[in-house]
Amino acid sequence: MLRHLLKLIWKRKSRNMMLSLEILLAFLVVFAIAAFGLRYWQLYQLPTGHAWRNQWSVAIRPAQDIANDAATYDSLKRALLDLPEVESVAFSKFGTYEMSRSTEEYTLPDGSQELIIDGISVSDDYFKTMEMTPASGHWFSKADDGGDVTPVVINRRLADKFFPGKEAVGQLYITQTRGKSTPERFRVAAVVEQFRSHGEFMDPVYFMLPRYVPGVGKEAAYAITLKLKPGTPRAFEARLNAKLKQVRSDWNYLITTQSDARASMLRMQMIPLIILGVIAAFLLVMVAFGLFGVLWQNTTQRIPEIGLRRALGASANHIYQQIVAEQLLLSTGAMLVALVLLVQLPLTGVFGDSLNWKVFATATLLSASVIYLLSLLCSLYPGWRAARLSPTQALHYE
Amino acid sequence: MFRNYLLTAWKVFMRRKLFTAINLLCIVLTLVVLMVITALLQNTFYPTGVEGKSDRFVQMVMVQSSHTDKGAMRRGTLGYKLIKQYLKPLKNAELVSITSSVPSTVSVYQDSQVSSLDMRLTDAEYWKILDFTVRQGRVINADDVEQGRMVAVLNESTARKLFPGQPYLGQKFSANGQIFTVIGVVQDEMHMNAYADIWTPISAQPSSDYKNNLFGQFGALMMASTPEQLPALRREIVEVAKTVQYDDPTAFNVTKFWGDSKLQLFSRMLLSSEEEDGSVGKLVAGIVVLMLLFMALPALNLINLNVGRIMERSGEIGVRKAFGATSRQLVAQLVLENVLLCLIGGAIGLVLAAGVLWWLENSGLIPYLRVHLNLAVFGYGLLITLVFGVLSGVIPAWKMSRLDPVHALKGAA
Repeated sequence: MLRHLLKLIWKRKSRNMMLSLEILLAFLVVFAIAAFGLRYWQLYQLPTGHAWRNQWSVAIRPAQDIANDAATYDSLKRALLDLPEVESVAFSKFGTYEMSRSTEEYTLPDGSQELIIDGISVSDDYFKTMEMTPASGHWFSKADDGGDVTPVVINRRLADKFFPGKEAVGQLYITQTRGKSTPERFRVAAVVEQFRSHGEFMDPVYFMLPRYVPGVGKEAAYAITLKLKPGTPRAFEARLNAKLKQVRSDWNYLITTQSDARASMLRMQMIPLIILGVIAAFLLVMVAFGLFGVLWQNTTQRIPEIGLRRALGASANHIYQQIVAEQLLLSTGAMLVALVLLVQLPLTGVFGDSLNWKVFATATLLSASVIYLLSLLCSLYPGWRAARLSPTQALHYE
Repeated sequence: MFRNYLLTAWKVFMRRKLFTAINLLCIVLTLVVLMVITALLQNTFYPTGVEGKSDRFVQMVMVQSSHTDKGAMRRGTLGYKLIKQYLKPLKNAELVSITSSVPSTVSVYQDSQVSSLDMRLTDAEYWKILDFTVRQGRVINADDVEQGRMVAVLNESTARKLFPGQPYLGQKFSANGQIFTVIGVVQDEMHMNAYADIWTPISAQPSSDYKNNLFGQFGALMMASTPEQLPALRREIVEVAKTVQYDDPTAFNVTKFWGDSKLQLFSRMLLSSEEEDGSVGKLVAGIVVLMLLFMALPALNLINLNVGRIMERSGEIGVRKAFGATSRQLVAQLVLENVLLCLIGGAIGLVLAAGVLWWLENSGLIPYLRVHLNLAVFGYGLLITLVFGVLSGVIPAWKMSRLDPVHALKGAA
């Protein structure tokens, strides 16, 4: 039966080739959106490593660069802790759920293992404020004051890369300077399972949180993170702003709740998926119409052939099955070719971890079912129309 | 002859109404998507209305500083001093405006509500280069900027949001801890330079330190007196960049900046280009390739549908061939038929695209969006339609013309 169907398809190869090409392209489009969506779903399941429900962030927007002055930060902190709603205050170079990102090159002390690592410098209270828990080690604190090695908290991914099979806590690494200047040295104080500053849809990267001490170093902190008492109303923002203005009236403060920042971040990251989805939906509707039209034409042309089969004793059901099976076979062929092309992506690893095997397999399954469903739906009516004809009608059809 | 082709085409379309309808639907869907994209691009890069003088002015939001001996490079927004000292005196520029490169977000606190709004600092020239539609009151003038008056112009949506049911002019509100008085209300605008919710004089800041910085948060608009003078202005800007002196010559000593049209600016940002024209060619080629890629699937679809129809017409083709029609004539006929169908689809598509744009404007997906459908958009729409028609018509036509007249006449193709 299968051989027979294949033979029939091969007889009409030039027409079927164009049809296969169309199905192939449609499969690629569906695959792309399925893989994109599945990867987002996968990322959404991963922990971000920090809390957002009761956290607020204040971005400092000065007219010009601010000096890293310990007294200013101290008075900011004391003023904020005066407010009964505020439970904890921390400073950082920039905040979470912001588009900002800062990366630098680091190596092990012996110069091996060059790595580009994302980082945010944070003050001692950051971990308490963001409700983080260490997987191993202890957060840095006042006890680390004065050392020439900067204590740092790193994520599991970085720990496994730099120190595989070893206990990462206590290990050292340095900035990559290529021997031009003295590198800055870092000592791992603690390891966290996960830290993704852009939130739920961020790809896991190597991440480090080095210690920031107000007044030490040249760069100042431009973000304040607050942990508030649960249930603090949004109207608190006005009092918070007034309090901050009391400390430095010439700075502007941009206050956002982390839940708002998170919502707008998620919305923004969803935009490409939505645009792709709309375009894919358009294309699929078109392919469905086209497939339907082509199959209709095909069956109309093949009515004499169908009549002959009926006359030789094939039941209406057999004809029906033949039309649908031919179409499904054609789709399978097109998708196999597409898969041969697509499998190169995870094999060569051009998309890295974004297109891992799990995503690839699920996306294949999902998009194959979409195409099969489409083929089935489009061949149902033409198939039924062909099967309905009585042998006499079909044989005389002009 | 041409009339005959048209008549045949019409007869063919009407004979199989369902297929014509399916064909048309595919064409319309494709063209609507492409036309909406084209209209949005046209509206962004060659706007009419508030930034209608775009063919006379160039914009700059970025200066690139580097050092001949060091690897360090800085790309960032401009400072007031840089514009004041080097761009204001440009000989080919009629007006030079200093304004925020990107409006900054401010919180406006009222009794019970907090509004997050985008505020733009402007000088008086800004209002002469851009043609805002003033609904009430007046815009910011040179006197306001000189005196550092705490005044503000709002757009309609913001005025309605902050002071519902009250007269807008003369109202006071607090932003960034400063009290501003509303002096004017303008129409909502969504354009590169015009976008903002609140406009205030550049001098209405807590301190005047901004005046001394080469790097800051500003951008410049430079307008020539005629569109013809624009190339000279752009050349002059590139020349002026070579004369910039830094406060600390050990940090930076080489400067590059460009006066860009909107398209150039966009492609410069996207491609990090240092070319004088911002590598616009690459960007446009990229857009065209993407559009052709998007057309590939619908075109293939149409090819499949059209090839099927040839078989039905093999008798007609056989007769024409037997009477001496050349393959070329037959190809021309079928492509023409296809283009005709595409033109009908294009006309429907244009109407639907206008509907989609109208929906997009009212849905609030992009705030303050107003797309003006002009002749250029119509022209691009026509071009896209023709490209699509030819793309999807040539292969079936070529296949049809190759039919052997003997077989074709028998109807056994």
